[in-house]
Amino acid sequence: MEGLLVSSKPKIKELLVESACEHNKGHKKGPCNTPTPGATTGGCALDGAQIALFPFADAAHLIHGPMSCVGGAWETRLTPTSWPGRDLTQTGFATDINTNDVVFSGEKKLAEAIDHVITHYAPEAVFVYSTCVTALTGDDIDAVCRQGSERHGTPCVPVHAPGFVGAKNLGSRIAGEAVLRHLIGTKEPEDTTPFDINLIGEHNNTGELWRYRHLLEELGIRVRSTFSGDGRIASIRTAHRAKLNVIVCAKSLISMTRKMEEQYGIPWISCSFYGMTDTSNSILAIAEALGDADLIARTRALIAREEARLEEKLIPYRAVFAGKKAVLNTGGNKSWSIASALQDLGIEVVATSVRKSTEADKAKARQYLGEDAILMTSPASQQAQVIDDTGAHLLLAGGRSLYTAIKKRIAFTDVNQEKKKSYGGYDGLLVLAEDLKNSLQNPVFELVDRKAPWQK
Amino acid sequence: MAEVRRKTGKPLQVNPHKLSQPMGATLAFLGVDRCMPLMHGAQGCASFTKVMFTRHFCEPIALQTTAVTDVTAVLDGGDYSITESIKNIGDKVCPALIGVHTTGLTETKGDDLRGVASKIEAPLVYVNTPDYQGGLESGWTLTVQALIEQLTEPCERTDARKVVLVPHVSMQPIEVEKLREFIEAFGFEVVAVPDLSSSLDNHLGEKQASLSGGGVTVAELEGLADAGAVVTVGASVKPVGATLQKKNPAIRHRHFDHVSGLVGTDELVAWLLETSARDTPPAVVERWRKRLQDAMLDSHFSIGQTRFLLVAEPDHLAAMAASLREVGGKVALAIATVDSPVLGDIEADRVIVGDLEDAEQLRDDYDIIIGNFHTEALAHRVGKRAVMRGFPNYEEIGSALKNDVLYEGGAYFLFDIANAAERMRESEVHHARERIKQQGAAA
Repeated sequence: MEGLLVSSKPKIKELLVESACEHNKGHKKGPCNTPTPGATTGGCALDGAQIALFPFADAAHLIHGPMSCVGGAWETRLTPTSWPGRDLTQTGFATDINTNDVVFSGEKKLAEAIDHVITHYAPEAVFVYSTCVTALTGDDIDAVCRQGSERHGTPCVPVHAPGFVGAKNLGSRIAGEAVLRHLIGTKEPEDTTPFDINLIGEHNNTGELWRYRHLLEELGIRVRSTFSGDGRIASIRTAHRAKLNVIVCAKSLISMTRKMEEQYGIPWISCSFYGMTDTSNSILAIAEALGDADLIARTRALIAREEARLEEKLIPYRAVFAGKKAVLNTGGNKSWSIASALQDLGIEVVATSVRKSTEADKAKARQYLGEDAILMTSPASQQAQVIDDTGAHLLLAGGRSLYTAIKKRIAFTDVNQEKKKSYGGYDGLLVLAEDLKNSLQNPVFELVDRKAPWQK
Repeated sequence: MAEVRRKTGKPLQVNPHKLSQPMGATLAFLGVDRCMPLMHGAQGCASFTKVMFTRHFCEPIALQTTAVTDVTAVLDGGDYSITESIKNIGDKVCPALIGVHTTGLTETKGDDLRGVASKIEAPLVYVNTPDYQGGLESGWTLTVQALIEQLTEPCERTDARKVVLVPHVSMQPIEVEKLREFIEAFGFEVVAVPDLSSSLDNHLGEKQASLSGGGVTVAELEGLADAGAVVTVGASVKPVGATLQKKNPAIRHRHFDHVSGLVGTDELVAWLLETSARDTPPAVVERWRKRLQDAMLDSHFSIGQTRFLLVAEPDHLAAMAASLREVGGKVALAIATVDSPVLGDIEADRVIVGDLEDAEQLRDDYDIIIGNFHTEALAHRVGKRAVMRGFPNYEEIGSALKNDVLYEGGAYFLFDIANAAERMRESEVHHARERIKQQGAAA
C-alpha cells in the first residue's frame, strides 16, 4: 500500500519530532516551536527552505506563490559559488500568482514557468517551492514537477515548505527531505576514495566553506558533495557514496544525516569551524571518523602548522585584546561557537545568550565559558545589567542591541548573518580580530550619545 | 506618447522588482505614530517584509504577525489568531493603533476581517491586502483609505489653513518632510498621511521599534476632515481625495501626478500661491528654483546625451522620467512593477510592466539604469552603470534621507544622475585609451 502513496510531501509531524534533535528531549510542551500569534519573530518554513537550497547556484529556484514570498528576499543570500555558469542563487524566479490562479489553479502557469526556466537558463535542476496560497488552493506541484522532469529530462524537485507549516528550521529539514528523496542516490560517481565526505548544512555563507575546504583537500579528504554551499546538483546526486557525513552548525539537518545513515550506512559527525580551537577539533574529528592512522597523523601535523601560522599573525592583536571582556548575545550554537573564537583571541567572554539554545548547547556554553560566566535566558532585558555588573568592553549581538551598547558606551559588533565577511576557519579568525579591534578602537560608541549643547 | 505594454505575457517573473500589497500596507501603518502593524498571515509574510524594510531603512521595524499555521488556516476564521495576537501584543506594549492587514493566505481561506474587527475593543484599523493582487502602491493606498474610512470623524466645517498631504509610497521619508515643510512655508498647517518623515527618517531614537515611533497621530487622523484641502501626490493615491471628501464634501481635492522637476514643482507652487492668496513664494523657494534652473543647465549636456532605463513603481517612474526629460534625458525604457493609469503619461519611448529579465533582453536600448538595488547586479551583467533608487536598497545606506523632489531635491537628483553618466563615459574613454595603448605596445 505504501507504494501507492506517491506524494512526495514529507510527513511534517515526523520531521517535527525528529528523534535526533536536542530540542525534543525533555520538553513537555511538544516539539520544535509552534509560533505564538502576535509574539513571533523569525522566518517561516519557506524562508528556511530557501536558505537551505538557494546556495545550489546551478539549480533554478522557482517560488510558486505571490510576491511576498520572494519579492524582497531574492539576491539577498550571501552564499558565493565557484559555479562557472550563471549564478542562479542570485536569480529570482516566481510565478507571481494572481486572483485567476487562486480561483482556477496555478498548475498550468507553473508548468509553463518551468518550461521558461529550463529553456532560457538550462539549470541542472529546478527546485519548485510551494507556498501557503498554492498549498491551500491545492496545486499539485508533485505532478507538475514529475511532468516537467519527463518533458525536459532535468530533475524538477518539489519542495513542500509552505510558510504556515512552521519556522525556518522545519523548512530547512523539509529541503533536506526533498533532496534526499529526489536527488541523492540518483547518479553513481565516476570514482570514489576512502576519504569522501559530504558537508551537510554548510551553506558557504560569506564564503566560510572556502576558509577550510582547501585544508581538507590538502589532507586528501575529498568533499564529494555539499548541502549546499558552493554545491552542485551533479555532486549531491552521488552523495550516497560518501564515507562520512559532516554536519556543520545546523541542528535542523539532523533528520537528513540520520536517514542517510539508515538508508546508506553513512555515519555522521557534527562540526563547527568557528575559531581556531573549533576548526582544529573539527578537522581532527573528521580524520578520526574516517579512521585512518596515517591521515590522523598528517592531520595533527597540519593543525600544528596552521595554529602556529595563525598564532604569529595574531601577535599584534594580543595586546589590544588583553584584559578585554565581551558579552555575547546571539542564538543557538553561536552561543558557544563564537565564544570559542573570542577566547582564541584572548577575550574573556563573561556572558552569552542561551535563549534559543538546546540543553546540549547550554551545557557546551557552560563548559566553554566556565562557572563564573552568565548564561542569559532573556538577553534583551538582561544584557544592560550584565554589562554593568561585569564591566564588559564589548557587546557582540544583532543590530537591535546596538542602542544598549551606545547607552553603556561600549564597543559593538554585529554578529548577525547580514554581515558580509566570513569569520570561519583559521583565517576567518584574523578577520574577526580585525573587526573587533576596529570596534574597540572606534570612538563612535563613546561619542555618539553625548549630551547635546542644550541638554543639562 | 509612449508605447505601453500593460501585461507581462510571461508565466512567471524572472528577477522581479515587484513588491507585494501587504508590504505596502505595512509601510503605510509605519507612518502612524505608536502603531503596531499586524500582518494576518503566516509568520514568513511578516518576516520577509520586516527584513526588507529593516535592511532598506537600516532601522528596526515594528511589525507583528498573526502566525497562521496549517492548523489554524483550516480551523480558524481569523477570530482566534487575530484576537490572540492583539492580546499578546498588549501584554508587551500599548499601541495607539493596531493595523491589521491580510495576505494571500488569509484571503484565500476567506477570513471575515470586518466581522472579527467589529468584535475587538483595542484601537484597530483593518484592510484587505491579498498579495496575489496589486502591489506596493495599492497596498499603501488601500491602507490610507482604511485609516480615513475607519478613523476620521465626519465634519462639516473646514479650516482653510489646513492641508492634508497624501504622498505616494515611493517617496522616501525626507521627501515627505521636504514637501510638508514646502507647503507649510506658504502659511498652511500640513498633516501628512501617512507620515514616514518622523518615523523612518534614520534618527537615533530611544525605543528599539517596539512600536513605530513618529508619524501621524491617531488624534490627527480622527480630526482630518476639517481640512480645507487634500493634496494627493502620485496617481496611485489619487482615490484618497474622494475617500476624505466622503467625510466632508467641502474639502477641496488637488491632485499632482508628481512634484518633481521644474514644471512639476511650478504647478504645485502655482496652486499654493493661488490657494494662499500670496503673490510671491517664500524667499527660500525662489532661491531653490534658481538653483534648480542652474542645475538643469549644468547637467543638460551630460544627461541630454544619455539613454535611460528606469525600473520602479509607476508613480516613481512618472516623477523621475519628468525630471530627466526636462534636461533632454532620453528615457528609452521604463519598467513598471504593476499596471497603473499613469503609465500612459510617462515621458518615455517605451513603458512596460515587467521584470529585470526584460531589462536584460533590451540591454541595447539604454546606458544608465535607475532602479532598486537589484539593478546593480543587472548593470554588472549588461555592462552599464546603475544609480540606486526605490525599494529595496540594500546596497547603500542613507536611502531615507535621499531627496529627489521639488526644486531642491530636483537639483540633487540631476547632479547624481549627471555625475553617474559622466563617470560612465570617463570609464569608457579610459578603457578605449588603454586598448589603443596596448595595440601600440603590441605593434
